[in-house]
Amino acid sequence: MMAQVTRTDFNGKAVQQTQTRDDDWSRLLVQVGTHRDRAAFERLFHHYAPLIKGFHYSRSVQAFSAEAADELVQEVMFRVWRKATSFDPARASANTWIYTIMRNCRIDMLRRNSRRQDADGCDVEVDDIWDESPESQPLVVLQHKRSQRDIAEGLRGLPPEQSHVLEKAYMEGKSHSEIAEELGLPLGTVKSRVRLALKKLETILSKRGAP
Amino acid sequence: MIRHHPDSNMLLEYASGSLPWAMSLAVSAHLQLCPHCRRASEQLNEIGGGLLEDSAPQATSGAALAQLMERIDQEPQQGEPQHADSPAGEGAPVSRRNTRDDRDPALARLPQVIRKLLGGNRPLKWRRVSPALKMSRLHTGQDQYEVAFHRISRGGKVAEHDHRGREVTLVLYGSFSDADGVYSPGDFLLREPGEVHRPIATQDQECLCLSVVEAPVSVTGPLGWLVNPLLSFRPA
Repeated sequence: MMAQVTRTDFNGKAVQQTQTRDDDWSRLLVQVGTHRDRAAFERLFHHYAPLIKGFHYSRSVQAFSAEAADELVQEVMFRVWRKATSFDPARASANTWIYTIMRNCRIDMLRRNSRRQDADGCDVEVDDIWDESPESQPLVVLQHKRSQRDIAEGLRGLPPEQSHVLEKAYMEGKSHSEIAEELGLPLGTVKSRVRLALKKLETILSKRGAP
Repeated sequence: MIRHHPDSNMLLEYASGSLPWAMSLAVSAHLQLCPHCRRASEQLNEIGGGLLEDSAPQATSGAALAQLMERIDQEPQQGEPQHADSPAGEGAPVSRRNTRDDRDPALARLPQVIRKLLGGNRPLKWRRVSPALKMSRLHTGQDQYEVAFHRISRGGKVAEHDHRGREVTLVLYGSFSDADGVYSPGDFLLREPGEVHRPIATQDQECLCLSVVEAPVSVTGPLGWLVNPLLSFRPA
């Protein structure tokens, strides 16, 4: 099931990537969590480090400088190693789990860089507000984890103006009003594009999920 | 039964990390009470996972992995993951000096993130805003929004007021009503600037809310000039 493919990044450098089903990445993460398996971790690194960097720094996304993106990659993968014991493949796919670690890491980094001296004095941390742990769940919720492949295909099936606002929100970390300002659109238009994108995605996924 | 939720736009801003800190705090507390929105936010995280998978890969420096493994080797081996992830609010901060807050029934069962917030703000200093309304400002490590607990005494009426900025109210204990309806624990209300309302706590018990306000509240009632200075905007 695993096959090596080579993709080229926008600086012309070849990036080795392993193509697998998302279950395989979850399995590797579990191995890291339960056995502190370094070989498994290295494979995860080779797959995810270029993606984490590309998410923040590529031809289309320049949310971070190349240096800051490299720093973020280091920090995210370090946390992946540390937190792997709490990864539960029944609750989230590897992609989604790593996404949440990456998001929290990014908020942390931006917050550290912009923090004013007097704004301190508070116990609440990023992982308290963006807390994905089961302990903070309201009650046991039946999880219907969706297939990562279906989600990726669903995203590709969105009209460009809808996927564009999602990318700006997630990859560039922009609020709706920042997106509206940048694209010269009324805030209401950005909001409705986001809602339409979510609705469309829901429709695509429920069709695929049907027996 | 929770009837009022953050809309999907706000949940998406939260899940993508672009919602301001103080607003995210309120959304987070709601998620810890509301299975429905919790599920929605997990689906929004899945979109993040999908976008990560579909990102254009960029080569990292050749030494990146070696540097990381070196850092990992320097980490103490024992108990590394659990300690980093220990649930918030159950540790030391909550036991910090104070017994009055411990006995306060309104503070007895709070979402985890609010317990953590409370821990760093003890002992709470309550200020009387009007006969029926007390408030306690909370430090949250940001200064864009005013974050506070508001408590309305049993059956108490709050002066009619409007908002110059967006305001989020999350009911934590008891309930209150206004012209639009009755709000119970977990209910998440967003008011846009200019909306006027007059909250009244229900008769059976007092009501505690978390409020996050973008700009100061102005009192529009006949005694507004008396009350307003007490509500002056002071970032926490």
